[in-house]
Amino acid sequence: MIKLERTLLGIILFLAIWQVLAICLDANTIVPGLGAIFSELTGLVGKKTFLVAVVSTLVKVIAGLLLTLLIGLPLGFLLGINNKLFDMFRPVIMVIQAVPVISWLTLVIFAWGIGFRGPIFITFLSLFPIALLTTVSGVRNLDKNLLEMATLYRVPRWQVIRDIYLGSLLPFIVAILDVTLGQAWKVILVSEYLCGNSGLGVLILAARYEVNPAKVWALTFLAVLLGLITERLVKLLFRKVAKRWAI
Amino acid sequence: MGNLIVITNLAKSFDDKKVLDNINLSICKSERAALIGPSGSGKTTLLRIISGLETPSQGTVQIHTRNIGYVFQEPRLIPWRTVEQNLLFVNPDAELEDILAKLRLKDFKNHYPHQLSGGMKQRVNLARALITNPDLLILDEPFSSLDLPIKLEIINDVLLQWQERKFTMILVTHDLKEALLLADRIIILSSSPGRIIKDLTVDLNPVNRKISDPALLSIESDILHVLSSAY
Ligand SMILES: Nc1ncnc2c1ncn2[C@@H]1O[C@H](COP(=O)(O)OP(=O)(O)O)[C@@H](O)[C@H]1O
Ligand SMILES: [Mg+2]
Repeated sequence: MIKLERTLLGIILFLAIWQVLAICLDANTIVPGLGAIFSELTGLVGKKTFLVAVVSTLVKVIAGLLLTLLIGLPLGFLLGINNKLFDMFRPVIMVIQAVPVISWLTLVIFAWGIGFRGPIFITFLSLFPIALLTTVSGVRNLDKNLLEMATLYRVPRWQVIRDIYLGSLLPFIVAILDVTLGQAWKVILVSEYLCGNSGLGVLILAARYEVNPAKVWALTFLAVLLGLITERLVKLLFRKVAKRWAI
Repeated sequence: MGNLIVITNLAKSFDDKKVLDNINLSICKSERAALIGPSGSGKTTLLRIISGLETPSQGTVQIHTRNIGYVFQEPRLIPWRTVEQNLLFVNPDAELEDILAKLRLKDFKNHYPHQLSGGMKQRVNLARALITNPDLLILDEPFSSLDLPIKLEIINDVLLQWQERKFTMILVTHDLKEALLLADRIIILSSSPGRIIKDLTVDLNPVNRKISDPALLSIESDILHVLSSAY
């Protein structure tokens, strides 16, 4: 409880400093008054355009993540158990990691124009290497002695995958979820801003054209909030799934 | 009784390094053989070849069973699985009650490996080998990290199980007393590359041996004599 009180106190202090700054700097600067931000917030929350944008962004985040995990984890598994394959794929992965996002964005705009596919694809490209390489190191981290024990006792392959592989990969999968979830929101917003036609990123772009800092902050606040909520939900869900493996 | 294992002219090299040389060895059904040798003499390698985890460079190994229980030097338990789950992993149909009781693991079946002491982990390692109903039980220095009282306890457990099931046993150890308590045959390997330099029968009761038994002590001193002239 004491800890919660301290946290609350911290937040109140932060808001107070913000408000003082806003008054000192005056009017419509990048630090607008709390009242202005709050009225933008309440204005946004009920509005249909906002809700549509939230759903659109959320769908893209989920799609980008699913794409990343569904391709990154199995491929990482494969490259982890097969060094020759890993050597073959490594240059491609390095290129994907090294090319600046701006270049991908430009190419995506050439290919698909402004739309929903671009942000999802950009998210995939930025997160896929993390998912893949973390899985590879997870597989390499496997205890060879345990695998040998399973071989000796002729334990069926599927059971080895369920009991040994998944169990040792779980901490790595948690780490991947941790990193990619947080990143996905940020990447989606940026790419919506630059090559999207809907979503919170586009709303922030609109607020820019209106030169409305209060609206930018209100949208940012909501985006962060949504990010945190989804992170919690996904982790909760994942823990449920993991429990079935009794980790 | 017939042979369970027949090894002929076996040699094993890793890259250019010869680890085992000219091994000829037959082991009968229900025999309890102890393998003694300095570290690096290829004892583990020989066990791994017998159990099919490694292939010989030369020679042949005939083994008339596929049911092998292997008590590894390290427990090799799955860390995120309970004792019970670790056992069922190698044999989902196993009847665990009996073996858990006999190895004094009953109260620990829902424990995770990190909650167990070293001796307890090795008992699970042993239980896992036994619930596959092995015709051949291989033990690779399973007791080397344990304190003497616990070591004697587990040795006794192994002997009771052998009395019940009469599996063939190969024990690797560097503890002569351990070998004399457990084995009816002691095979001594030379230092690298390992060759058999002595193969002798232990003429004592199969079970209920005592470390302080004069007969046992006299065999021990004979072997020590061989060892001191060999190394
Ligand atoms: N997979 C391997 N690759 C290369 N060298 C090995 C391998 N396994 C064992 N050796 C070498 O073979 C020798 C015998 O090892 P080992 O059979 O473990 O001896 P012991 O069990 O008698 O101590 C050692 O020098 C060891 O380094
Ligand atoms: Mg060894």
